[in-house]
Amino acid sequence: MPVVKVLTEGIGEANLRDIAIYEERGGYVQLRRAFEEMSQREVLDLCDASGLRGRGGAGFPTGRKWSFLPGNDKPRYLVCNCDEAEPGTFKDHMLIEETPHLVLEGMLLGAYGIGSHHAFIYIRGEFKRGYEIFSETVRQARAAGYVGKNLFGTGYDLEVTVHRGAGAYICGEETALLNSLEGKRGEPRLKPPFPAVAGLYGMPTVVNNVETLAYLVPILKRGSQWFASVGTERSKGYKIVSISGHVRKPGNYEVPLGTPVRELLEIAGGLRPGRTLAAIQPGGGSSACIFEEQLDLPYDYESLAKAGSMLGSGAVVVMDDTTDFVKAAYNLVRFYAHESCGQCTPCREGGHWLATVLERFVQGRGLQSDIEMLHKVSAEITGLNLCPLGDSIEPFLASVLKRFPEQFEARVLKETVPA
Amino acid sequence: MPDKPTVDMVSVTIDGVTFGVPKGTLVVEAAKRIQREIPVYCYHPKMGPAGLCRICLVEIEGMPKLQIGCNTVVTDGMVVHTQSEKAADGRRAVLELYLVNHPLDCPICDKGGECDLQDFSLAYGRGFSRSADAKIGKPKAEDLGPTIVLDEERCVVCQRCVRFDDLIVGERQLVLKDRGVHNIVATATGDAYRHNYTGNVTELCPVGALTSKTYRFKSRPWDLRRTRTTCTQCAVGCGAFLDTRLGGVRRTMLVEDDPISDGWLCDRGRYNIGFYDDLHRLTQPLYKRDGEFVQIGWDDALALWARAIADAIAADPASVGALGGGRLTNEEAYLLQHIFRSAGVRNLDWRAGRQRQATPGKRAGRLADIDRAEAILEIGESPAERAPILELRVRKAVRRGARLIRVAPVQSRPPVAGSCADVATAGEAVAQLPPGAKRVAVIWDGVDLALGRDLVARLPAGIDLAAYITGEQANARGAEAMGMHPSFGPGYAVPAGGAGRGFAAMLEDARAGKMRVLSILGANPALHFPDGAAVREALEKTPFVVVSELFMTQTARLATLVLPARGAFEKNGTTTNVAGDVLPVNAAEGLDVPDGALSDFEMLIGLAQALHVGLPAQDELETAVISHSARAPEGFAFGDARFEQPAARGGSAPEGDGNALRLVVESRIFAGGGTIAHDARLADLRPLPQVAISPEDAARLGVATGDYVDITAWATVRQERVIDVLVEVRTGLPQGVAALVGGLPDDPANALGERALVSVTNVRRNVAEAAR
Repeated sequence: MPVVKVLTEGIGEANLRDIAIYEERGGYVQLRRAFEEMSQREVLDLCDASGLRGRGGAGFPTGRKWSFLPGNDKPRYLVCNCDEAEPGTFKDHMLIEETPHLVLEGMLLGAYGIGSHHAFIYIRGEFKRGYEIFSETVRQARAAGYVGKNLFGTGYDLEVTVHRGAGAYICGEETALLNSLEGKRGEPRLKPPFPAVAGLYGMPTVVNNVETLAYLVPILKRGSQWFASVGTERSKGYKIVSISGHVRKPGNYEVPLGTPVRELLEIAGGLRPGRTLAAIQPGGGSSACIFEEQLDLPYDYESLAKAGSMLGSGAVVVMDDTTDFVKAAYNLVRFYAHESCGQCTPCREGGHWLATVLERFVQGRGLQSDIEMLHKVSAEITGLNLCPLGDSIEPFLASVLKRFPEQFEARVLKETVPA
Repeated sequence: MPDKPTVDMVSVTIDGVTFGVPKGTLVVEAAKRIQREIPVYCYHPKMGPAGLCRICLVEIEGMPKLQIGCNTVVTDGMVVHTQSEKAADGRRAVLELYLVNHPLDCPICDKGGECDLQDFSLAYGRGFSRSADAKIGKPKAEDLGPTIVLDEERCVVCQRCVRFDDLIVGERQLVLKDRGVHNIVATATGDAYRHNYTGNVTELCPVGALTSKTYRFKSRPWDLRRTRTTCTQCAVGCGAFLDTRLGGVRRTMLVEDDPISDGWLCDRGRYNIGFYDDLHRLTQPLYKRDGEFVQIGWDDALALWARAIADAIAADPASVGALGGGRLTNEEAYLLQHIFRSAGVRNLDWRAGRQRQATPGKRAGRLADIDRAEAILEIGESPAERAPILELRVRKAVRRGARLIRVAPVQSRPPVAGSCADVATAGEAVAQLPPGAKRVAVIWDGVDLALGRDLVARLPAGIDLAAYITGEQANARGAEAMGMHPSFGPGYAVPAGGAGRGFAAMLEDARAGKMRVLSILGANPALHFPDGAAVREALEKTPFVVVSELFMTQTARLATLVLPARGAFEKNGTTTNVAGDVLPVNAAEGLDVPDGALSDFEMLIGLAQALHVGLPAQDELETAVISHSARAPEGFAFGDARFEQPAARGGSAPEGDGNALRLVVESRIFAGGGTIAHDARLADLRPLPQVAISPEDAARLGVATGDYVDITAWATVRQERVIDVLVEVRTGLPQGVAALVGGLPDDPANALGERALVSVTNVRRNVAEAAR
């Protein structure tokens, strides 16, 4: 079994929320080392060399993201994105609750790496417990001298602000997150300018996912080579995969990237007895399904993209032959329609339209012509939106419409014209 | 020759046409250069891209996805297709979406016929909808505020209105609420949408979501007749379109590319049009016989007027005077002074209110100079309520980085983020100038001559000064240039017959029983002159007072002869604005003028004939208007001593009253005696009688916002006068000042006298407000 313990090390064994225990296990050593022995440039280079890619969903190389920051003397900000709300994803939730000091240490390293003196963490509104834990974590770290003025006597000040959102999926999109953090309506910004140039309060900003930043700690500890030697050619290192659905042992599993999907299924205990696999959504609610014949796909960014899906945030949702895919499609499309901020048209109107039609299918009142319309409209609205939310509606719907047309046909209203 | 900045050009190909555009040009703007329409809802040239509507989709070679033309900058060699199949498909898909939840109530929608949703759906849409489900319902005919009705179902959520409120006005009242398909436009606080520029959102709105209360269900656009004219509600002189139907003005619309208005209109200019067909319009000359007005014919009226003048001149030319011009056209003002001076009358003035001077002199600013200014100094009353569109330029400049310095400010600071300083004296103002500032704009209300003089004298040498005097009357500057002034003839020349007496002096003479005939054309000094009681007494003591007016105003009631006049939309001529631009005033096509109302020009022609005074030739008139208005008079300064008037009778606080505050009268765009009071549809916009005091004074006097108090004055000669007003505690207002809204017909601030000392007494606590 390829399950490893890197970020998840110690979870379930020790109370890592206690700074003393975290320090005992080697916590904040890397932070001290970075401040005392390494230049900011060295931290950035290390991150770059490790091949670490964003673990929030887009998979953008982290070092490159950092390198987009302009070389001006404006204040720059690091924002840790903990607005984890992608359907099926629950890894950041675990990280901030179970190993919050690791997340904080990663944030501080990231902030140092980009030369920021103020780091923010935006925690999903529903994560009340995580918010409380993380706030306490920052208090402990401040008391221990890891947050605040003149860290490790280097003269480097680094402030941390913990912010709890108000429960909007869209705020996981980085520019919507920045708006929300500024106290504005949580809706994505038009790009360009990109956050690296004009982000939080108009200043150069890097937004990184919780898991991404947490990986900085082991990378610093064991070196970029250690990380880069794992995984596939372009998908390096490890990833926490949230496996849920029709498996016997759903949960978070940390694995090397490139692990075959079939093995992920095994790790999670396999299907329930007597069931066969219908579909797997490999990368969260926004990803297209893969099927039985694709189980040998390596779980990495490129292979899944090639197969027409994506790795996304690493949320693997397994669906067996008991699944009602009309209901499943309605459930997801309704989710996106509900979470649409509504500022741009294809997502606002298209999502609602598709959800309305699918609701009729669920009730057995579909029209034959609706099936083609579902195909076409979902395709038409894709690629026209201001942010990725609107483009997330189509993949799952299209893949199950194609794979399980009979389930939709069965919900078409039969003509009852009297003879 | 000054170096022209070199513009980097890039080459772009749009629909097969290759041409050059400056670097940084957006695709949507580049397409305009070859008359190629890229449809947009959210994009607006003055607000930039928003990226929301997604219909400006274009295909760009080398890019896999369709791009939005509004946020794509042209790069050299870019090849753009606006009409390709892919682009057309994308547009078609998006346009279909707009109609999924749209009510399609075009037959009863005011926008029908000039609606971008109709036009684009026809031009680029599919022609049918695949949507078969029920549309979601949203609030309709919502009362957004005193001016606007909102239909949420028609809204396409382009957010132009929201962005206008933020980026152009700075008020940020409008926001988007809720989310997804349930999005609605609303005010952030839930309060009424109310500021001086709200009407613009009805024109920014590409559909029929935001409509003007004054225009709802009044017309179809194709039934309207349109006239381009100049708004004469204030001294900015914004370009405007007048749309008439069935003999009435139905609406006023902005002129997008007008350099004067910068493409906007204020709500006064837009909405104060209902008075034209008000039933109280004067339609026949009225002559007061035994204290009662009786209707007479025009021939008799003109004969009576001429005889009164001729008789008085024969007795003593100094007993005759004329007031007016500030609300007339240049041509009328010229004719007015020409006729009276030709007849030997020297007592001429336009100054019917607080303003003393209207022409800034050689350093007169052009409106565009504000856009370039590094610092803007405001002396006296800010332009916010006197010249709203000038105020928008100030806000634009402050947002751009210009420093705003306000001397003895009364109004609140403009609601835009930027550098702003409030100071008490001219000296402090000059000290606040940014170091090395070269381009400075000075905006003065023309009231306190000494303050204006002091400020300009203190400005460092070498400053490129652009000066503006925001008048109370739209054509004050034109009237001054035309010679409606006791010390200046046309073109600011010394008048041939010598200087006469100004209006304040005429009032003194009248009160002393020395005036025989006063002719007041288009002015309402009983309401606007700082000392209303003095005006009333003077007019009562003058045997023959002639007033030309649209309505029976406070002044007209005191007249012997009232002449029914035409308004600005009912005559042709020119007006001169705050920046010296001579602008056309055109009669609205298709507007019914009340029978019996004549323009002041026509009345003056009649008067000239009856007085046997020669008329200026047409070309003399035209030359006068153009050359004199455009001329920058030599040696004029702010607060020029020749503009001094006799000091008004000041008040003094009674002995031992430590609560005395100095009265300041402040303008409100919707305060006024004639055009406002007789515009029934503006009832909700008329300001309340209100006094603003500083937080310090409020604490001392024990009053709070929402309380009612009496403002009491002690004049030197007459009895105590009282105004019952609502209190507003205003942060930033200097201590010791009571700022009272002026120009309200029922509660005239000028009842208290000029620069009076007032006391705040008889506080009535607003219980509801206190409980909150």
